[in-house]
Amino acid sequence: MSEVVNIQRPDTLSELSQQTLRRLMRAWFDFERRLSRVNIINRLDVGSFSIDDYRNLLLNLRPQVIEGGRWISRCASSFDREHADIRSVVIGHAKDEHRDYEALEQDYVAAGGILSDIRARQRNPGTEALHAFLMYRASQPNPTDMLGAMWIIEGLGEKMANDWADRIDELTNGNGSYTKFMRYHGDNDGTHMDKLYGLVDRVCIDGRVADNIIRTAHVVGRLYALQLEEIDYINE
Amino acid sequence: MSVYITSTGSFLPGPPIDNEEMEELLGFVNGNQSRLKKRILKSNGIKTRHYAINKHHETTHSNADLAIQAARQCMQRSGLPLNKIGMLSCATTQGDMVIPGFGSMVQAGLGISDVELHTSHGICSSSAMAIKSAVNNLLVGDQNSALVITSELVSRLFKNTRYEAAGGVDAIDFNAEFLRWMLSDGAGAVLLETQPRNRCLRINWIRSFSHADAYPVCMGIGTPSDKNDARTWQDFATYAEAEAAGALLIKQDVRLLENIVKLGVDGALRLIEEGVLDVNEIDHLLCHYSSHYFRGKIYDMLEMAGAAIPEEKWYTNLYTRGNTGCASILIMLNDFLQDERAKPGDNIVLMIPESGRFNNAYVHLTMVE
Repeated sequence: MSEVVNIQRPDTLSELSQQTLRRLMRAWFDFERRLSRVNIINRLDVGSFSIDDYRNLLLNLRPQVIEGGRWISRCASSFDREHADIRSVVIGHAKDEHRDYEALEQDYVAAGGILSDIRARQRNPGTEALHAFLMYRASQPNPTDMLGAMWIIEGLGEKMANDWADRIDELTNGNGSYTKFMRYHGDNDGTHMDKLYGLVDRVCIDGRVADNIIRTAHVVGRLYALQLEEIDYINE
Repeated sequence: MSVYITSTGSFLPGPPIDNEEMEELLGFVNGNQSRLKKRILKSNGIKTRHYAINKHHETTHSNADLAIQAARQCMQRSGLPLNKIGMLSCATTQGDMVIPGFGSMVQAGLGISDVELHTSHGICSSSAMAIKSAVNNLLVGDQNSALVITSELVSRLFKNTRYEAAGGVDAIDFNAEFLRWMLSDGAGAVLLETQPRNRCLRINWIRSFSHADAYPVCMGIGTPSDKNDARTWQDFATYAEAEAAGALLIKQDVRLLENIVKLGVDGALRLIEEGVLDVNEIDHLLCHYSSHYFRGKIYDMLEMAGAAIPEEKWYTNLYTRGNTGCASILIMLNDFLQDERAKPGDNIVLMIPESGRFNNAYVHLTMVE
C-alpha cells in the first residue's frame, strides 16, 4: 500500500491560493444573502417560521442528503493516483456523511411527521438540478473544482448547527429533540478549516483551477437556494 | 481634482458617565435594576459615554446644539470663515424635529447664509452618505467647500419612562434593551475643501454596499413589539397607542447582528478584488465597532487569505466616547488626528458598519502636507 500523505494546514498560502480563499469567502457571503432571500429562510429570520415549515424543510432536504453520500463517493473515485492525498480527504467525508439521512428521518418523525411520507418524497426540481450538477462535476477526472462544492455544503452544515437548529427550536418551542441532524454538523474543532487551507494550497496550481473552484461554489450555492425556493413553490 | 479634509471638530455633552452612573441617569425601569446591563456592557466594552440629558431627564443640549458645537470647533481650527462655506451636509438618525430636515435646523443655528443644503437620513452610515454627497458636490465643481456634520441625541429614547410606557420590565426583552447600554450622544464635524490646507487628509474614495434586499431590519424604531402586528408607528390611531405597543422603542435584532461583521468583511474583499483597496498599504483603520467582533474564525481566514489588518493598526475611541451612531466616525477621526498618530503619507481607512438594514461604508484617506 502506498504511503498516504495527509493534507495539513500550510504555514502560508501562495498568492493565488490567498486570492482563491478570498473569493471563496465572498462566494459564501453571497450564498448566505441568497439564502436569506428565500421565503422559508426569511421566515426563520423574521420569526414566523412554523413547525409545518420545519417538516417541509426536512421533507425537501432528505433526497439531497441521501444523494450527498453518492456524489462525494463519486468524487473520491474520480481522483487518480496523483491525487491520492485529496482522495483520502474526500473518502473521509463520504464515510462521515453517508448515513446522515437516518438522523434526518428520525427528526422528521420526532417533529410530528410520518416516516413513510418522508421516505416517499421525491426530489424537488431544485434538488434534481443540484444533484445532477454535483454528479456531473464529480464524474470528471480529478474534479478539483468540487472543493467549491464542499465549501458551500460544509459551510451550510455549520450554519445549520450553529444558527438554524437553535432558531428552529426557539420558534417552534422545541427542546432539541428534533433538530439532531442539523446539530450533528456543528463540529467546530477547526481541523476541517486547516484541511481546507491545505486543499486550496494543494490544488490551486493555476488561475484556471481557481476559477473552476469558484464557479462550482457559485453554481452549487445557486442550486441549493433553488432547492429551498421550491419548498414554498411546490406547496402552493 | 481632489477633495481634502482640512479641519475637524467634535462635541460631547456633559461629563463622561461611567457604567455605574449610567442607569441612575437614564432611570430604573419600574424602579428595578436592569438584569442585562452588565452582560451587554461587558460585550461592547464601553467604559464611559456622554449624554445630552441630565438625571432629571431635562435635555441639556438639543441635537442641533450638539451639531453646532462640533461645527464651531471645526471652523475655529480652520482658516476658513464660516460665511465662505458653500455646502452644509448633515447626518443624524433622529433630528429634534420630525421635519424639516436636520440640516435646516443646524444651518439656522450656525447662522450661515445661502448654503447648498443636504440632510442624509439613516443610522450610522448616514455619515458616509453626508460626506459622499459633499465630496461629489465639490468634485463636480459646484462648490469649493463643504461643512459636514454628523450628530446624535439618542439618550432621549432611553429614559425609563419610555420603557414603562411600552409595558415596563415585563414587556422589555433583550432586543429592546440592548441599545440602551450601547448608544450615547455626541457630534463630529469635518471641513472639506478642494485645496489642501497645511497638514490635511486627501479623500481618495468613498464606497458603500447595502444589503437591505437580503436581510430583515436589524435595528430600528417604528414597529410594535408584537412581531405578528405588521403596522408601523403612524398606522396607530394615536401616538400614545403606538408607544404603548412598543412601536417607539429603539430595538436591535441581536440574532442578526453577526451579519454586520461578515458583510463588513465582504465589502472589504470586494474592494480588494476590484484593486481599489490594498490592505498592506493601510496604516490606520478607524472603526466604531470593537475589533473583537472581527476576531476568531473570520480573522484566521482573513489572515490566511492575506487580507487581515493587524490589531495594532486598529484605532477606536469607542470605550471612552461611546457608540454615537452616525457621529462616531467623525468624533473618532477628530480624536485620532488630535492624538497625532498619523504622519504625512499614511493611509487611513474609515470603516462604517450599519446594522440598521445592513449597509457598510468605507472611506480611504491619505495624510498630505
